[in-house]
Amino acid sequence: MKKQNNGFKIGMIVIFLGLTIMYLFPTIQWTLEQRHIEDMPEAEQVQYLDENRERLQSLQENSLSLGLDLQGGMYVTLEVGVDQLVLELAGDFADETLRDVIDVAQQRSIDEGTDFITEFIAEFEGRDANAMLSRYYRSDTENITRRSTNEEVEEFLRGQVSSAVERAMEIVRSRVDRYGVTEPSILQQGNSRLVVELPGVDDEERVRNLLRGTARLEFRLTPNAEDMNNAKRQIINYFSNEGSTQADSVAADDSLANQQSGENPLTQVLGTQVRSEYVFGVAAGPDTARVNDLLEREEVQNILPRNAELMWGAQPYATSNNGLELFELIPVRTQIEMTGDVISEASVEFDPNTNEAQVSMTMDSEGARRWARITGANIGRPVAIVLDGYVYSYPNVITKINNGRSSITGLSGLQEAEDLVNILLSGALPAPLDIIEERTVGASLGEESIQAGFYSVLFGLIAVAIFMIAYYHAGGGIADLALILNIIFILGILAAFNATLTLPGIAGIVLTIGMAVDANVLIFDRIREELRAGKTLRAAIDNGYSNAMSAIVDANVTTFFVAVILFSFGVGPIKGFAITLMAGIASSLFSAIVITRVVVDYLTRDKTSTVSFG
Amino acid sequence: MKWFESPTFDFIKGQKIMYIVSGILFVGSIIAVLTMGLNYGIDFRGGKEFVFDFENDVEVTEIRSALTEPLGATPELKLFGSPSEILVRTDAEGDITVVQNLIVSNLQELYPDNPVRVIKTDLVGPRFAEDLKLAAVNSILFAVAVVFIYILIRFKGWYFSAGAVAALIHDVVIVLGIFTIIEPLVNFNVTIDQALIAAFLTIVGYSLNDTVVVFDRIRENSLIYKTMEFKDMINKSLNDTLSRTVITSLTTLFVVTVLFIFGGEVLKGFAFALVVGVILGTYSSLFVASSIVVELEKRASQAKS
Repeated sequence: MKKQNNGFKIGMIVIFLGLTIMYLFPTIQWTLEQRHIEDMPEAEQVQYLDENRERLQSLQENSLSLGLDLQGGMYVTLEVGVDQLVLELAGDFADETLRDVIDVAQQRSIDEGTDFITEFIAEFEGRDANAMLSRYYRSDTENITRRSTNEEVEEFLRGQVSSAVERAMEIVRSRVDRYGVTEPSILQQGNSRLVVELPGVDDEERVRNLLRGTARLEFRLTPNAEDMNNAKRQIINYFSNEGSTQADSVAADDSLANQQSGENPLTQVLGTQVRSEYVFGVAAGPDTARVNDLLEREEVQNILPRNAELMWGAQPYATSNNGLELFELIPVRTQIEMTGDVISEASVEFDPNTNEAQVSMTMDSEGARRWARITGANIGRPVAIVLDGYVYSYPNVITKINNGRSSITGLSGLQEAEDLVNILLSGALPAPLDIIEERTVGASLGEESIQAGFYSVLFGLIAVAIFMIAYYHAGGGIADLALILNIIFILGILAAFNATLTLPGIAGIVLTIGMAVDANVLIFDRIREELRAGKTLRAAIDNGYSNAMSAIVDANVTTFFVAVILFSFGVGPIKGFAITLMAGIASSLFSAIVITRVVVDYLTRDKTSTVSFG
Repeated sequence: MKWFESPTFDFIKGQKIMYIVSGILFVGSIIAVLTMGLNYGIDFRGGKEFVFDFENDVEVTEIRSALTEPLGATPELKLFGSPSEILVRTDAEGDITVVQNLIVSNLQELYPDNPVRVIKTDLVGPRFAEDLKLAAVNSILFAVAVVFIYILIRFKGWYFSAGAVAALIHDVVIVLGIFTIIEPLVNFNVTIDQALIAAFLTIVGYSLNDTVVVFDRIRENSLIYKTMEFKDMINKSLNDTLSRTVITSLTTLFVVTVLFIFGGEVLKGFAFALVVGVILGTYSSLFVASSIVVELEKRASQAKS
């Protein structure tokens, strides 16, 4: 009976060891390959990598991967702006009431951590129980008409949100792929969040812009130059009056002098000397916010022609005497002639004259037709190319363009051109993406962490191993053997479940080293007790193992529960800690109970042989 | 080697001292938290955190005063493991790229001959921080509830559950108190963040492990020594398992101390919480949990008779 039992146990140990080795094999191979490659001279390296690409790739995929905190990289949580999307879906129907409802609902959903759509419907119906959402939302494809009920519209909105999130995910994936990251991971979290993991990325600024760039490309006409110049005079006048009233209160006598010496708050920050009649003014970089503030006033907005708005140039057009970058404020029409949807191809090109990088675009047939009509009707006038609210260029149309080609100039350099092509080709995001969490770890810090983790495991293991042998003698030695196997099992389990090893994960292994011997301590203490009670060694061992079992099970089950809770709550690296903790509990139970038992039984197989438990 | 072979300590008699010690620690921790406030990391209050690596050593006070004006408020600074690495935590609003560049340019101005690079950045939006906080609170409450129910089912006495949970609350509150008090005194990061919640749950798991082993022995002894007084039986069970309690605590203490010393700067606060937690967990399973079980049982049986 006993023999059979142990045969089964030994079989299990062999199977688990076999599985562990099988799962860890690619990791070992991969590590060796990396060493091998590093030792090669550079020329050989390239050739070797080329010849063995597929094999190496599959090795890497199957090996235990390191978390971002160990290999360096970026971890970003993006949130889709659902409130923006709901506003945009209303299109031209949107009015003040709707905007207000959206603002209130957004605030409440933030404060109370609830779903935005639910809050939106509640707020809308709360204001007027009879109000119909179909006033704002129409869709031919989804069959949302004037007569649709609020429930139908709600369903429509939810559908739009979930497809917007899906689309955002596709777009982000495509952007990341084009950027070139090995093994990126993009996952949806909750209703409207995306978690993007980018190993090995260190240019945070560029990635941030790439991820959240909405890339709303617009082609707009410019308003009538004469109307604009009139408006400009009136606006400057408006502020000079204010300048003088302010000056009045300070020093009434100097009011006239002040006015003339440029105490006008607008002209103080906005230069009116411009290079073209299509430019409203120029301001230094730090002053643009002040200019925005002044121009946002309702009185000023009323002076502006109704079809015009002001936008900043994307790049400085010159540098002032004291080294500040100067930006142009350019009037454009509010009406959007065409958007980036029509772009079918985009590529980086270099201007033959200036050698500056620019993006050349080709439009689809519908776009080309509209482009021909727009350019044909506006020869001699500028068309503004607007990206995400900034004017990149406003070239004068020289001739009607029939082939649907256009280009974006005025970029800061090759990198911006490349990223812009990437964003244009990946498509525009359906709603803005916000970075709500970002964690970046440099490769050097990751390496330090790997080393720190390695030493912690090593020293922890040595300390515990020595103590166990000192306290439990041979028994301690057996427990140590189980402990070492336990660590290998944990790594095997992680590899088998395709989990990632993080720094907190290594901490979990270190902690497991300390706690895994607990089961053996419980058993060995029991054996000592039984021996003290006068039992034979064999009987003491049998009783020791069986009596300790209930305590071991209860203690581990409760700890396992806690690890599961940690897993379901934690994000990122913390999850890694919970995973190794769970793996550690499972494998330590097996090694502390089954493996040590087999070894102890083997050592005591004869009546005469003994094992010391200290 | 044999320690505590057949110990006969009177743990229950030590109750009075325990009540005083634990009472002082517990109340002191609550007062510390109430007066000094919980020192949240950016995980739970939002903000931006950067770690800068300089080539040569830098002066924290100099950096603090150099950054205060451009950031619009005094940032929190800590050395990050070595005198040439600093952690900057700021609530400054605006785009992370802008803030990062602002800090870097000011640091370069301050130390023109000391090149600096960013080795770690963390950004948590205020809304996301609220979510994380809620999840953290929920996870701890959930863990405590699960523990209560499991022990209720396995040990069939609500006072066992109450004792275990009281010990857990005792441990977590005191760790919080210690973290609050030592924050200004130590040179590593001891803010309350996600890693600390992970440490809390680990402490909960560990402290429970200890407590459950003692309870298991109580269950076993109560079947053998049916006539023994409840209080004495608990005391016997504590003594029976004392050797195991001490040995396991020691091995665990070894590894968490190793983690604290060698685990690197990122894990310092986490490892520190574990060191404190292991010590407290051992203490509370020996004194707090069983004392409360005895107390509650006594009242329950008095009420019955």
